[in-house]
Amino acid sequence: MSRPAWAGRQRQAVVVGIHALPFSKNIGMTERHGGGLAILGALQDAGLSVADVDGMYRFVWEGTTEMEMARILGIENLRMFGEVDYGGGAGCPAVSHAALAIENGLADVVVVWRSRNRSSGGRPWVSQLQATGQDQFERPYGLVRPVDGMALHTRYWMHKYGWGPEVLGRVAITQRELARRNPAAVMQKPMTMDDYLGARMIADPLRLFDCCLETDGALAMVLTSAERTADLEVTPVYVTGFAMGSGPQCYGMTFYYDEVLGVTPAKYVAPELWKNTGLQPEDMDVVQFYDAFTPQIPVSFEEYGFCGEGEAPAYMLEGKNPPYNTSGGGLSEAYVHGFNLLLEGVRQVRGSSTTQAKDVQHSLVTSGNVVPTGAIVFSKEPW
Amino acid sequence: MSDPGLDFATSFPVPMPDADTQPFWDGCERGELLIQRCGYCKKWLWQPRPICSGCQTPDPVWTRVSGAGFVASWTVLRPPSLPAFAQKLPYVLLLVELDEGVRLIGFLVDDAGGWLQTDGEAEGIHMGTRMSLRFYDQAGTILPSWTVAS
Ligand SMILES: [Zn+2]
Repeated sequence: MSRPAWAGRQRQAVVVGIHALPFSKNIGMTERHGGGLAILGALQDAGLSVADVDGMYRFVWEGTTEMEMARILGIENLRMFGEVDYGGGAGCPAVSHAALAIENGLADVVVVWRSRNRSSGGRPWVSQLQATGQDQFERPYGLVRPVDGMALHTRYWMHKYGWGPEVLGRVAITQRELARRNPAAVMQKPMTMDDYLGARMIADPLRLFDCCLETDGALAMVLTSAERTADLEVTPVYVTGFAMGSGPQCYGMTFYYDEVLGVTPAKYVAPELWKNTGLQPEDMDVVQFYDAFTPQIPVSFEEYGFCGEGEAPAYMLEGKNPPYNTSGGGLSEAYVHGFNLLLEGVRQVRGSSTTQAKDVQHSLVTSGNVVPTGAIVFSKEPW
Repeated sequence: MSDPGLDFATSFPVPMPDADTQPFWDGCERGELLIQRCGYCKKWLWQPRPICSGCQTPDPVWTRVSGAGFVASWTVLRPPSLPAFAQKLPYVLLLVELDEGVRLIGFLVDDAGGWLQTDGEAEGIHMGTRMSLRFYDQAGTILPSWTVAS
């Protein structure tokens, strides 16, 4: 393994705090309320306080701006702040921006959070009847749900690679079993292949259990520099590297108009990630792949280079893959735009997952692969 | 809901064209499918844009095409959807690759351009099925749609 090309950075960013409020169908508070509590929890986990915070990044889709959150919490001055767009693609990029701010000495303690009342607050796709931009060629046709766009991709992948429905069913069942080991997971009921195959279609070929949950959740992460951890009691989780990518002709959710069908922006993230980290897929001891829908798992194993194109079903069936989505993920733990995957990636390095992988040195987390996206590697040691 | 003038319970989403997309929708009103083509490098462009993405020449030329193509992918939409679509489900949503190489979203309709409440099986929809252009009138919005080529 060679050292990353950018190892000459001044400082290394580390994750020192994580916190999630209990996932539920109705969290019983506003998103800003949940977000604020999650941030305070993550700061407490780190042994830091609001007075230490000087940077904040959020999802564009976060209903509470950094300024509103900073006002609520009473933060004196944000030296760095910003937002990353594109729904579930924003998680790793937002954390990456926080790490960049720290590595460059532009901020010392940076908060990233996601609070979303996706269950009690209703479905975001129901309220937009005036379709502008990209949407004007999609929404009038009823192509309004994320599952609709994903179904068009999935049909193509199933056709091209010869996937049967069991390829997707095994993902749903695997993650349900992982969720059942995690008391924080929303879904605790066992699932059989008959349960999976017997569930109703939502957008063919995607069935009910191919789809993520609709969850209220609030989660936060606190990052600082490795040098700052000298006076903290927490065990730091090192941000080894990250990458973002769009690929050509990238839309939000749909990217099938005039480019190669079936390729996602993650295909463009992967080589950057391995170059930036100096690592390879086989160095990953555990992975958290963005999973709004089951097909994202086999496609991610392929596009991030864990196996060749078209090989994922056999690769996974033979158990050659590292453990994935060990908390149950978006399919069975909670769906909060993948921020729970980021927390689980950190827990795996800390050694505190409910399905702890062995001897974790490097832990991969990715964000939504069918939108502009990113990925990040957390590590146990400085790398 | 958030759209003044549109009744959420009964209204379909409507396109809100701007100067870059208005010619497309004007073409639909006339029963013409217009796709942009670069006047310099001849690249076909979709979705509409003011500059050619291939060679950066401004003002791609709106060009009428036949709409002939094939099914590049498809799905069957089932509940839940927007209230206005509730009575139309299930129906087939197509990704049609035109012979010019670009892909468009469309409904599967019958030969006369009428609505088909279907899962696509009776019509024999599969990957690669040849399709012919029709226009479907959805509460006054004229939408390019496709029927199985005869
Ligand atoms: Zn051109």
